[in-house]
Amino acid sequence: MTAPAVLLEGVTKRFAGHVAVRDLSMTVPTGGIFGLLGPNGAGKSTTIRMIMEIYLADEGRIEILGTPHGARALSDRLGYIPEERGLYKKMKVIDQLIFFGETKGIVRGEARKRGLAWIERLGLGEWRDKKVEDLSKGMQQKVQFAGALLHDPDLVVLDEPFSGLDPVNSQVMKDVVIDIAKQGRTVLFSTHIMEQAERMCDRVVIIARGEKVVDGTLAEIKHQFGGTHVALTFSRDKEKAARVLADRSLVASVDDYGVTADVELASGAQAESLLEALVHAGVGMTRFELVEPSLQSIFIAKVGAEAVTAARKEEVAA
Amino acid sequence: MNKVFAVIRREMVERIRTKAFLISTFLLPILMVVMMVLPAFMMGGTERTQRIAIVDGTRDGQLGAAVESGLARPTFTKDGETRPLYDVALVTAPDGVQLAEDSLVALTGFSREKMPTTLDGVLVLTDETLASGKAVYLGGNAGSLQGMGALQGTLSQALMRSRLQDAGVDEAVVMKAMMRADIQSQKVADGKLTGESGEASFVLAYGMGFLLYFVILIYGAQTATSVIEEKTSRIMEVLASSLTPFQMLLGKIVGVGLTGLLQVGIWGGVVFLASSQRGALAGLVGLDPSAMAAMPIPSMPLDLLVVFLLYFALGFVLYGALYAAIGSMVNSMQEMQQFMMPVTMLIVFGFFGVFAVMKDPTAGIGLIFSYIPFFAPFVMPVRWSMASVPVTQLVLSLASMIAGILAVAWLAARIYRVGILMYGKKPTFREVFRWVRQG
Repeated sequence: MTAPAVLLEGVTKRFAGHVAVRDLSMTVPTGGIFGLLGPNGAGKSTTIRMIMEIYLADEGRIEILGTPHGARALSDRLGYIPEERGLYKKMKVIDQLIFFGETKGIVRGEARKRGLAWIERLGLGEWRDKKVEDLSKGMQQKVQFAGALLHDPDLVVLDEPFSGLDPVNSQVMKDVVIDIAKQGRTVLFSTHIMEQAERMCDRVVIIARGEKVVDGTLAEIKHQFGGTHVALTFSRDKEKAARVLADRSLVASVDDYGVTADVELASGAQAESLLEALVHAGVGMTRFELVEPSLQSIFIAKVGAEAVTAARKEEVAA
Repeated sequence: MNKVFAVIRREMVERIRTKAFLISTFLLPILMVVMMVLPAFMMGGTERTQRIAIVDGTRDGQLGAAVESGLARPTFTKDGETRPLYDVALVTAPDGVQLAEDSLVALTGFSREKMPTTLDGVLVLTDETLASGKAVYLGGNAGSLQGMGALQGTLSQALMRSRLQDAGVDEAVVMKAMMRADIQSQKVADGKLTGESGEASFVLAYGMGFLLYFVILIYGAQTATSVIEEKTSRIMEVLASSLTPFQMLLGKIVGVGLTGLLQVGIWGGVVFLASSQRGALAGLVGLDPSAMAAMPIPSMPLDLLVVFLLYFALGFVLYGALYAAIGSMVNSMQEMQQFMMPVTMLIVFGFFGVFAVMKDPTAGIGLIFSYIPFFAPFVMPVRWSMASVPVTQLVLSLASMIAGILAVAWLAARIYRVGILMYGKKPTFREVFRWVRQG
């Protein structure tokens, strides 16, 4: 079996006064897309920075691509986009890409060739000789992507890669990420948008308040989470459903979106009983479907609204 | 190592491409050439023969003739021919000084187109001139300091001669007695004459000190601002994932330093070229070559050039590392000022050392400064140029310099490593000390 792309064992990081990451262990297998999920302030960026050797872990062990020498020694095989994007504002797009390539050990001529190819691929052709500061935010993001991927890294680490992108650009970036995974390379990315992670990731780890709460493949996680979930779409008289959904012998929890709702049945309750009760109450529905639990609902259940607020408070305090 | 070159290259290319660099690099030499050409051009254009009438109202009528012969001497060159500076008409005043004066003044101060025979001025000499030295000049150019100075000098000489004669003293004896001392200085090194004049060494010493002072102050600060820019544009984290803090630090200091050296080199080259080709330059603007002011360019012996460049490079690395560390600690140019203060003080102190050494190249202060890494780059080249420095002292000084650089680089790299990713509030000196300890 090949060594994992990233291995964390009992990693802890403290900052003046508080623990950002506590005793975190996780394994990112080689190949595929790995999601590091968590609410704001959970310790995602800190974890990623420790993986990239920008912060040193206070305790624990980190192995990258099967070696313990740290990310900087392997820098030429790694691609990284930090949460805070950064480009030289006064530099031309192509010069910027060449420079990024050179810092990854690619000779100038080759870096230029690859830079041009990426510019073509991301549709930045007419911006090639423009200064970065003249580009829109979305285009700057593309330049950042190209800069991090120019040297065909074996492991790509992306901190919140899709934040601030419009749907079109988001789609382009998603295709790039999927493409890397198809080539057998590894992508590790962090996000707090669950829908995205659910559609893209093979494996996820959810952390909250610096600690791991969920770890596994999507199928495993959903299976372990268990329960019977029903997706509802209302057509009329939705208010009449309120009393039924409040019945704790039938319904364990409701995630209400207004027109639609995700319902988790109480243990031992049957979906048929719920349907019967809703019809009896006179609720109009266009959808009543047994579904797998969404990552979102797992996330909410595991992390909890209260955990999110707690983390925010800590953020403010720190 | 290739990565360091990439950083150096980026730092240089992006810096050289800025408008500020291009303007300052090429505007200054143009200004220098203009400064050389302009005075000659202006003076050459305005010089012409001055028509002056001297009214001699003295009893024996000797003084007027003496002044006339004195004014006949100065000449100027225009269009390749030599012309007298003054055209003097000596007028005796049998009908009284006032009458002659009035009639001459009536001819003075017209434009030459209107009245070709107009006078530039009238000099009135009376018995009182002989007694107390008081004379009257009435002229259109009475405001010209230079013209009045020349006139006054000539008159003083004539008066002195006349008075000496009256007192029965031989003029030649007085001239001989008044001859000034004239010291010709030459530099001696290792018991041999070097052939350099003392004055040239002075210019050289001052020039070297100033160059280092200027480049460190301007470009050192640029090292700091460049780090701040990388922090505010948030590119630092991307770089930090690819480069070690040491690679970033080294690349930046060397890149900025080389840019500074390039600019100063271009300036120096233009001065040298303009000065050595000043004949051709004068011809270009239609001037007489001798009319151009010469820029003093002392020749630089090879050993001095080597010593100077060595200390220049070491000095820049030392201060560059300090500046980069400062840049990494702060978030804005405003915050930078406070931390820059001590470094600026060191530089100014070092520059003062140059003057101390120039005053007395063999004094103890020069020796002490030679062993302090922050001051040695200023003091050592000057000492080398003005006095002979024992090789052991040079070696010791260089060793202290290298030890200083290692210590500062170690310190700077530790501050840099933590500082570059530190945003938000400005650190206190105590926090910076903790960064260094943590390392």
